[in-house]
Amino acid sequence: MYLRNFGISILTAILLTISSFSYADETCMSPYMQKIVGQEDYVYVWTLGVEGLGDEQDKLVTIDVSPKSKTYGKVVSVLSVGGRNEAHHSGLSDDRHYLWAGGLDSNKIFIFDVATNPRKPSLSKVVIDFVEKTGGIVGPHTFYALPGRMMVSGLSNNKDNGGRTGLAEYNSKGEFIATHWLPTDGDLKGANKTGNFADGYGYDIRVQPRRNIMLTSSFTGWSNYMMDFGQMLQDGEAMKRFGNTMVLWDLHSRKPKKVFDVPGAPLEIRCAWGANNNYCFTTTALTSKIWLIYEDKSGEWQAKAVADIGDPSKVPLPVDISITSDDKGLWVDTFMDGKARLFDISDPHNPKQIFEEKIGSQVNMISQSWDGTRAYFSTSLLGSWDKTEDADEQWVKLYDWDQENLKLSHVWTVDFYKEKLGRAHQMRFGAYSLYSSKNSDEEKSVSMLDK
Amino acid sequence: MIKLRLTKVNLFFNNYIMKKIILFIYIFTSVTLIYADNDNQFLSDELAPGWKKELGYKLPEPGSYKLYNIRKAGNGQVVDKKGNSIDLYSAMNNKITLLSFIYSNCSDKNGCPLATAVFYKIQEKLKKEKYLLKNLKMISLSFDPEYDTPSIMSLYGKDLSYIDADWRFLTTSSLNYLTPILQSYDQPVIRKYKKDGSYDGVQSHILRVYLIDDKKLIRNIYNVDFLHPDLLINDIKTLLLGNE
Repeated sequence: MYLRNFGISILTAILLTISSFSYADETCMSPYMQKIVGQEDYVYVWTLGVEGLGDEQDKLVTIDVSPKSKTYGKVVSVLSVGGRNEAHHSGLSDDRHYLWAGGLDSNKIFIFDVATNPRKPSLSKVVIDFVEKTGGIVGPHTFYALPGRMMVSGLSNNKDNGGRTGLAEYNSKGEFIATHWLPTDGDLKGANKTGNFADGYGYDIRVQPRRNIMLTSSFTGWSNYMMDFGQMLQDGEAMKRFGNTMVLWDLHSRKPKKVFDVPGAPLEIRCAWGANNNYCFTTTALTSKIWLIYEDKSGEWQAKAVADIGDPSKVPLPVDISITSDDKGLWVDTFMDGKARLFDISDPHNPKQIFEEKIGSQVNMISQSWDGTRAYFSTSLLGSWDKTEDADEQWVKLYDWDQENLKLSHVWTVDFYKEKLGRAHQMRFGAYSLYSSKNSDEEKSVSMLDK
Repeated sequence: MIKLRLTKVNLFFNNYIMKKIILFIYIFTSVTLIYADNDNQFLSDELAPGWKKELGYKLPEPGSYKLYNIRKAGNGQVVDKKGNSIDLYSAMNNKITLLSFIYSNCSDKNGCPLATAVFYKIQEKLKKEKYLLKNLKMISLSFDPEYDTPSIMSLYGKDLSYIDADWRFLTTSSLNYLTPILQSYDQPVIRKYKKDGSYDGVQSHILRVYLIDDKKLIRNIYNVDFLHPDLLINDIKTLLLGNE
């Protein structure tokens, strides 16, 4: 009898399975997150305000990216948040109803409602006590969705403004839950230090839930990321204050397990999607290498450098990376030469560069669609680190990607200086299909929502 | 409409051949689950970990980690299988509670059927751990009061809950009662509407299961990626150890 009933559930599942979720979207998001089918409708750009330009404020810029729309490729909404905060990264909640965006200098977190009207987001809440609540974390950086929660990585602390920092866990209402400090030589928190470093620095977060692991990377503290880039390069002491580690965590217990040496500021982390692909990649900003963090045959996690990016001696400064949904390709943007490079990572232990193209004088972020046919690029790295004078371009560009012929084709550019918006940084996708079944006619949806 | 659906369900239940088919599919599915472990599946083709027998990694010892207070659990008026209106808090009965939002028409293999299967497996695994069962409440609350009447929920839960497990199948009187509950749990749902604007059921939802302690605090929120009976039991034990 019990088997019968249990079987009915399975029968229902097998016979009537219709994928009710939308699978597709940029490929670098939390696996817990809802996905968009096919074409995204909007790109939300978290933008740094610039003194003397427009309203000078940080802002969330919404670009219409639906090719069927009359305003395709145009800015359709600008939401300024008051003042400049060193706007940097942003991340969507697991249900994609809210976009969390941080200020690295002000330590404010802006939570935007992008579900009520995806074309015109509104500001739902501002967290103003991040440092106080977390016990001293400074520089809210990555916003990584967990079910009903948001994990926020810090870059610094309020004691010495250096790189020692932690992770802060919030609930979906924007209320603080807990702080998880990164392990250091002085307090390894039970972690195994596998190399020379346990610096306690932080930057990005990624998880592989099926292996119960979380990975964090490491950058630098407030005293460096707010310093003029040229000045910092000349400051020998400042250049010593960069992260050299990645930490492997037990995801469920939030306890650090291993500290790996990954020298040269490992930044973005991207994990493979395949069910048996138990590995993630990062790139090191200062040493210009691709690193693989992987589970070996004995079930132990390891870290090793697997490829150079450009000529490391010229410090191309790899910044954002993006893994393709089939785990076969890794896009790597390099800030200094403004190039996008594609590596074949079919063999994750031996990445091979198969393509490169200059996107602009500087390039930072890349967001690609799930099918990989569209790639959006943006420019800004940090307010004090972006290039100057003529090289200080600020835009979002869309390219079509032809995988068969390895060809990037420029589609449109939104010039953020010409539009008097500011410096374009993190891009996140939005779509009506996430929130309503009434989305087949995009124009209709827009007009309904605008009412 | 509801009568017609009940008739269909009863026919289904009483069909001997269908039972054989169910058994076959049960066995087939079990085989498929094992095979899937060795196949390089991607996303929509994957079966969630909760369908698999083994979790695939070693869990920390119960009580060796913290389950943080995420926030207060929501309350609201719900309806039991006899049609009695009660509040959700009282249904929790001051026990550690697993709360899942489901609907009887749900057809996503990694959606409601998964949550129901995981609850089913939990009570099976706890058959001999009476202390845990005694302190655990499981609630399956419908997303869809329009279709999931108390009778339908009663039928849905018939024979699923057995031994000493305390598993309740609840619904609400209307969307007016359900919506504030869903909002309090941040549980999104997309509903379908016909061309004339009339309601046409649930289209999709995010699978979330909530672990609520005996003080009505949410202590964990599970989704499809780690909703597995072994992990939930580990967390229940951790909460009980924390109460001792």
